[in-house]
Amino acid sequence: MIEATGLTKRYGDKTAVDGVSFTVRPGMVTGFLGPNGAGKSTTMRMIVGLDRPTAGHVTVNGKPYAEHRAPLGEVGTLLEAKAVHTGRSAYNHLLALATTHGIGRKRVDDVIEMTGLQAVAKKRVGGFSLGMGQRLGIAAAMLGDPRTLILDEPVNGLDPEGVLWVRNLLRHLASEGRTVFLSSHLMSEMALTADHIIVIGRGRIIADAPVGDILAGAQTTTVRVRTPQADALTHALRTQGATITALEQDLLEVTGSSAPAIGEAAAATGVVLHELTPMHGSLEDAYMQLTAEEVEYHSTPVPQPGAPGRPGAVPSTAPNDTPTEGALR
Amino acid sequence: MTTLAAQAPGASRPRTTVRPSSFGRLVAAEWVKFRSLRSTWWTLAVGAVLMIALAVLQTWGTSTIPDDIEFPNLSGAVFVTGGAFLGQLAFCVLGVLAITGEYSTGMIRSTFAAAPRRLPVLWAKLVVIFSAVLLVSVLAVALSWVGSMPWFDELGLAIDLGNSDDLRIMLGTPLYLATATALAFAIGALVRHSAAGLAIVLGLLLVVEQAFALIPWRPLEVISPFLPSTAGSRLTMDAATQQMMDAGSDVATLTPWQGYGVLVAWVVVLLALAAVLMRRRDA
Repeated sequence: MIEATGLTKRYGDKTAVDGVSFTVRPGMVTGFLGPNGAGKSTTMRMIVGLDRPTAGHVTVNGKPYAEHRAPLGEVGTLLEAKAVHTGRSAYNHLLALATTHGIGRKRVDDVIEMTGLQAVAKKRVGGFSLGMGQRLGIAAAMLGDPRTLILDEPVNGLDPEGVLWVRNLLRHLASEGRTVFLSSHLMSEMALTADHIIVIGRGRIIADAPVGDILAGAQTTTVRVRTPQADALTHALRTQGATITALEQDLLEVTGSSAPAIGEAAAATGVVLHELTPMHGSLEDAYMQLTAEEVEYHSTPVPQPGAPGRPGAVPSTAPNDTPTEGALR
Repeated sequence: MTTLAAQAPGASRPRTTVRPSSFGRLVAAEWVKFRSLRSTWWTLAVGAVLMIALAVLQTWGTSTIPDDIEFPNLSGAVFVTGGAFLGQLAFCVLGVLAITGEYSTGMIRSTFAAAPRRLPVLWAKLVVIFSAVLLVSVLAVALSWVGSMPWFDELGLAIDLGNSDDLRIMLGTPLYLATATALAFAIGALVRHSAAGLAIVLGLLLVVEQAFALIPWRPLEVISPFLPSTAGSRLTMDAATQQMMDAGSDVATLTPWQGYGVLVAWVVVLLALAAVLMRRRDA
């Protein structure tokens, strides 16, 4: 359980986190979602006392983090890949952390095995890839078998198998009744892992709701229709109250109707259809709608050939699960 | 790297035993960190080798000076501890890096996550590094003694640990070195940056203190005896050396233990400052 109240962090006159309040509950995976620079990492660092809040306070499992007698047994933290001395081996890094809490070598071996680091455990961390660094960070977080896990971008740099493993691990830990709080800037990853999502943008909480609710907000269905008789179909659909945008001479985008209804209308008026494609608002869409105003670093929109009209919408036959940050605009 | 344990953790196994963090456990953890870096052993070895080599070479070299040349009548203990000045450079590098290495690599965040009260980490590190340098330099002084012995008779030197001055120099040198290392550690903890920390410490030892001692400008002359290494190293000098240094000087002359006390005061003040900042600053 993590409870933050009015948490604020200012650096000079720049406000990184602006009075956020939220509760992260045990027994589920809570996602912390936001664009880069939104204040995710700063918030997480304040939870474990690495950054001192300018105002507000935060408790973990009922107490400020620093007041726990065995903090590693309460909270496991992965704050950034490679918060590790590059000259030390993975094994000795974990052993040093374990020693602070009287955790035995057996557990160190266990977490090394759990994260698949056996082959490199005795090597110096300086040579580790980003993915290996992430695994080591997760191993360190798991050392004290903590009731609460706080993970900042845990799947960054992991291969697909690693991503899947982290996802299953987190879901399993939550099912054991633990509190799991992870951040990401990838909505698609969150949708697969989290039960509840807190969206942050420019230091403020924009949304705090179950995944289903956030998804439902994004479900505006658009249908793309290709027909040589565009005018006839437009007329027929308008009478049904649908909104039609002509993208090309023979390509229409219809909102306020459905694919079956459009198909039936076409059959009834004798219009030939070459294409009838329902387009679902993707998770990325929902996320971008939520954060559109809150993105700290805007990138220049890149023209997307083949996706005219609403740029984020994708054909439902090809679900957009390629997580790219460049899609933020 | 692609094989991961299929079984998720926590499935039907006893919960890991986690004990409360304590100062003793933090010292043990800092020892694990200290011994698991190659740079630790390199710097300790370089420091010890410099101490021993210089002591032996100095003794041997002096024995080759023709008898008819006048030479100050130094005690055997001064010969044996003659490499301390160079040795301290290596130990001070170790002292700075012991703390700045954690900041430059990000390790400090793991450290503070495990010990969120922070200050016990500073003291635990101090205990480990002070003890290690003390032990290594006691050993280095002992080996220097053994290595220099072949020329003792020829030079008419002797070390009698029953003699209070000899004992003070033989044990005071390691004590001075460990305390100087603590000073470097405190400066490292203040600046949190390896290059800056090394520059300040080596600049202080090699440039500032030497310049203050040599420039005949009154304010510098008055301050000079109270600079950390100038004051502290009086613990490692025999009476003849002290007389030689103080001859013609009209500024403060400190006794060996007063001098060491001044060094300790520097360390205490800088560590207190570092402690306040460590609590206050974001990691």
